Amino acid sequence: MTIVYQIITAAVSLLVVWNLLKERHLVDQMASALVLIPLVLRLLMIK
Amino acid sequence: MSRERKTYGRWWTGLVLLAMVGAVIGFAAQSFLAMHIDPPIYPGAGVTRVGLLSDYFSELAGTPADTDVYYLEGEDPGATTLVLGGTHPNEPASSLTAITLIENATVDSGTLIVIARANRSGFTCTEPQEGYPQTYKIDTPSGPREFRYGSRGTNPIDQWPDPVIYINAAGQALAGAEVRNLNRSYPGTPDGNLTERLAYAIEELIRQESVDVSIDLHEASPEYPVINAIVAHEDALSIAAEAALFLEFDGVQIGVERSPTNLRGLSHREWGDTTDTLAFLVESANAAQGRLRGATSADLIVEGKDSYYVRAAERGLLYVPFGDDGHSIDERVGRHLQTILSLLDVYNAYATDTIELCDVPTLADVMATGLGVYLDPPASS
Repeated sequence: MTIVYQIITAAVSLLVVWNLLKERHLVDQMASALVLIPLVLRLLMIK
Repeated sequence: MSRERKTYGRWWTGLVLLAMVGAVIGFAAQSFLAMHIDPPIYPGAGVTRVGLLSDYFSELAGTPADTDVYYLEGEDPGATTLVLGGTHPNEPASSLTAITLIENATVDSGTLIVIARANRSGFTCTEPQEGYPQTYKIDTPSGPREFRYGSRGTNPIDQWPDPVIYINAAGQALAGAEVRNLNRSYPGTPDGNLTERLAYAIEELIRQESVDVSIDLHEASPEYPVINAIVAHEDALSIAAEAALFLEFDGVQIGVERSPTNLRGLSHREWGDTTDTLAFLVESANAAQGRLRGATSADLIVEGKDSYYVRAAERGLLYVPFGDDGHSIDERVGRHLQTILSLLDVYNAYATDTIELCDVPTLADVMATGLGVYLDPPASS
């Protein structure tokens, strides 16, 4: 169960990183960066 | 009329933001991972050995739920008592009382078994959206000593996901988040989730050690009806009632509640039903847990003062008196210690095999000197 959860979290994290790099609006890039923090902390099972 | 948004974003701004994300994650991870390091407990002269809960249920070994078990064995045989602290790691008087026993108590006859971090996983996180500090400090003669403030339940990192409805091993239907609540998971199951296996291990300890008296220490918010109280299984009710009388004689206001038969999964019900032990649960008043509290801080945890609770008490909304002095951690731990002593005094009066504890500070002792005197780390630490 946990590995499925981590795979989903990793996939979403990659999409957010992709969006962060491709996005042309700085504010939206910053929003992506904020979204990424909890995703990565959960992916690494830290929080 | 819509306005075209200006585009300042470039690939390199994305990289700069990614670097900032990495820095924030590194800083946050350091803080969160530090919660997995147990603050030290210094076994006192009365501790004869230290084991692990997994000694009673090997499936628990190596999991975040395995926890230290401290044994204080008297020279003379006698009754065996279990004191369980840290069932809910956001109820600090519970684990601090257990630690005070480990570091101070000695036993003349019988055996005292103490667990200070019953739900050890719960000490590795705090409740979401509550603003709790990760730690609080008690002043000792050697300086401030840090303790962990945790979560009511098992860390979701260790047990996930929560169901919508949790039906425990006793058949009780509960809200989904209660699946991580140790005191809703008794009697536990050997093949259940982590919290259920933890509950099963504690029941195995009670069975394998033939524990005569078991005391589960808790705290509650001042607006919660079961507070400053002893909850007892019906087999233990007369002892609880007599102990409460003696406590009242000593000026300690305390109530007695009979363990409900239709609320299953709690220690005072399942320990009494599924083992031969006399089961008690003891509550004190922790303003930091309450819904009516003001600023949430380490001071609130330790000093227990809150002006909103004073106003609530003036309006008759609470189940405990609440004045400007609040309910300090000294008072709450002292009450727990005094209640343990009183319960065991009454038990000894009727039992053939007795347990004789020494060097346990009373409520008056703790209030006179402060709890820190009894939690002073040894000079060699």
